[in-house]
Amino acid sequence: MAEDSAASADKKESMPEPPPQPEVTPGEEFKENVRDFVDKVRKRREAMTLVGWASIATFCGAYALALVRFFFPRVLFEPPNVFKAGYPAEYTVGAVDTNYQKSQRVWIVREPEGFYALLAKCTHLGCTPVWKEAENKFKCPCHGSGFTKEGINYEGPAPRPLERLKIAVADDGQIQIDKSIKFRQEKGDWEKPGALLKA
Amino acid sequence: MDTDALKKEITKGQLWRSVMRHDVEDNPRTRVLKVMSNVFLHLHPVRIPRFGLYLKHTWCMGGLTFFLFLVLTVTGTLLMFYYHPTKEVAYADIKYLEFDVPFGMLLRNMHRWSAHAMIISVWLHMYRVFMTGSYKPPREFNWVVGVLLLTLTMLLSFTGYLLTDDQLGFWAVTVGTNMARATPLLGHEGPFAELTGASPYNDIRFAMLGGSVVAGNALLRAYIWHCIALPLIVAMFIAVHFWRVRKDGGISAPQ
Amino acid sequence: MDQFWLIISKPDNVPIVLMLLLVGFFTWLALSEARKFDKARAEGKTVKEAAYGDEADYPERVTVWPFLVREEFLAAIAMTIFLFIWSMALDAPLEEMANPNVTPNPSKAPWYFLGLQEILVYFDPWIAGVILPNVIVVGLMVIPYIDPNPKGSGYYTFRERPLAITIFLFGFLILWVLLTAIGTFTRGPGWIWFWPWQYWDTHAVVAETNVDFSDLFFGISSGSFTGSLIGFAVIAIWFPLIMALPLIFRKGRELASEMGIVRYLVFGNLLAFMLALPLKMFLRIFLHVKYIWVTPWFNV
Repeated sequence: MAEDSAASADKKESMPEPPPQPEVTPGEEFKENVRDFVDKVRKRREAMTLVGWASIATFCGAYALALVRFFFPRVLFEPPNVFKAGYPAEYTVGAVDTNYQKSQRVWIVREPEGFYALLAKCTHLGCTPVWKEAENKFKCPCHGSGFTKEGINYEGPAPRPLERLKIAVADDGQIQIDKSIKFRQEKGDWEKPGALLKA
Repeated sequence: MDTDALKKEITKGQLWRSVMRHDVEDNPRTRVLKVMSNVFLHLHPVRIPRFGLYLKHTWCMGGLTFFLFLVLTVTGTLLMFYYHPTKEVAYADIKYLEFDVPFGMLLRNMHRWSAHAMIISVWLHMYRVFMTGSYKPPREFNWVVGVLLLTLTMLLSFTGYLLTDDQLGFWAVTVGTNMARATPLLGHEGPFAELTGASPYNDIRFAMLGGSVVAGNALLRAYIWHCIALPLIVAMFIAVHFWRVRKDGGISAPQ
Repeated sequence: MDQFWLIISKPDNVPIVLMLLLVGFFTWLALSEARKFDKARAEGKTVKEAAYGDEADYPERVTVWPFLVREEFLAAIAMTIFLFIWSMALDAPLEEMANPNVTPNPSKAPWYFLGLQEILVYFDPWIAGVILPNVIVVGLMVIPYIDPNPKGSGYYTFRERPLAITIFLFGFLILWVLLTAIGTFTRGPGWIWFWPWQYWDTHAVVAETNVDFSDLFFGISSGSFTGSLIGFAVIAIWFPLIMALPLIFRKGRELASEMGIVRYLVFGNLLAFMLALPLKMFLRIFLHVKYIWVTPWFNV
């Protein structure tokens, strides 16, 4: 019963009244023309449907691409990873420079053979160690890890040496440190160019 | 290439059958099943009065209101990715959205204009429902839910106004919330304020703004109401509203 | 006219213009549908015949798939296109950063609240901003419970429910939409009335000396005890008066007995509220009446 009413509803909705039948019996040629016409209409409808869905798909695709692009900001409001740390001549041989500890969390060490930069972040749980001049070591206040001047862990829970950062001389002759590039001793990185700035 | 054969091949496969639980060919039976076996479509009944199709009868305003709510949810969620509700950066974030975020301007515009369009469509929906007498028994309760949704829509738009943290939003919200000062008993400038001891620091406006002036707390509160609390409440009432449309006999039509 | 164009073309006012056009169109549509229906009914057709018109012999119910789903899909696409065009053509407004020390003149609420803000001219904030909005919302909610007329459900008609439609149209079109338009287009700096062709002069001053009701009509100071009593009496009479007025007519009495006492009281009170607004507007605009009733605690 329900299906019947649905079926008849459909008939009324989508079918226009059939055209009045011609009085004379149609010839073969007429029938052929009608068939051609119906075929043409059917093909045109299919093409239009395709165009319709294709435009919707195109729109959705373009929107999806825009959406992906949206998630990649063009400008970042982050502090830069690269900073300049004065001229090499300003450093004393054998000393650990802690001037950039507060602003950049970096120590710069001047040894006879050159410069290297240590990230002031304990490899245990990320506290900031302190440079103890008298004891010639970095001491972490959180859990007591100790590191040599070179950054090698030798006491306490720290599992690995401190990380060194990329160090180079900028165009203007100043020392330039890039915190985004790290060198890890246990991976043998300290031998790579950039870990040490030869004097 | 024979597309019909390909279609048939795909729709016969297990993957297709696992998603679509009905035959593809169009017949009265699949027309029913398509609606009944689809979680989104089954918001609808299987059959509706022919009147429900006529634009001159429904104006399509209820459906458009819901569609705009969806658009606002999507665009709003995207805007949240680049917005911090703090006095320090809120305004800068809007500028950033407008001038630098890829498609940010378009997104912000669309959120704003959809919001205005939703206010209009929700008013017109109420207008239509009144003019066709569709609030009459058994649909009284759904009319009440609808009035609540209309009020909530305006509150949603109002809370969004402040978030840009510009002069327009700031003063619109200042003017709007200053009304609350005058609430009898509960506002510090309203009648009988001395009786209840209402002051700028304990009255109803204070509770709305989280302070005595429109500042950082008000911004955060507006943000939370706008993005979380009100949308949840509205979504809940929408569910009730739609459910009751069906339970109360579907869209109204001449009997 | 430059000023008028300036207001209309403000991005946030575009929706109001759109709203006004749509409200106008749909009012015409609803009323013309109602006229068609009423005419057919007068010719003796049944409700269904009159409502369905030429398509009365079509099946009454149709399947949702594909007919309704198709329509919803098309409406969503049309709306999407509309929103994209609107959003590409017109940028959302963003003024300078919020500055509590610089108050724009005029300071306006969002456009959909400007009807309420306009009422602030005529009533103190506790009425215009608190009582009236609540009365409006509650009043809308109780409509189905105080309308005893079972006719006119599901089709447009005027003759079968003239009272309900008249009251609603008055409330919606005049007291809400018109006031919103007035608040948007004619209120300039200092919330002074400017005609569309007038320049919004920030220094404009309108000499307006308002008097209170009892001063004007009885020469008694509104702050005095007698003056306050007169004010109270006016309001105390207004509500019963409006409630009693329909009872003079036979139709009104029929309506009242159909509704019963509780429904009728709610209806009467809401009606009195609704009519008090334009009355007070009239008194303010033409007789410069500021308050009807002055008390030490509040003024009406």
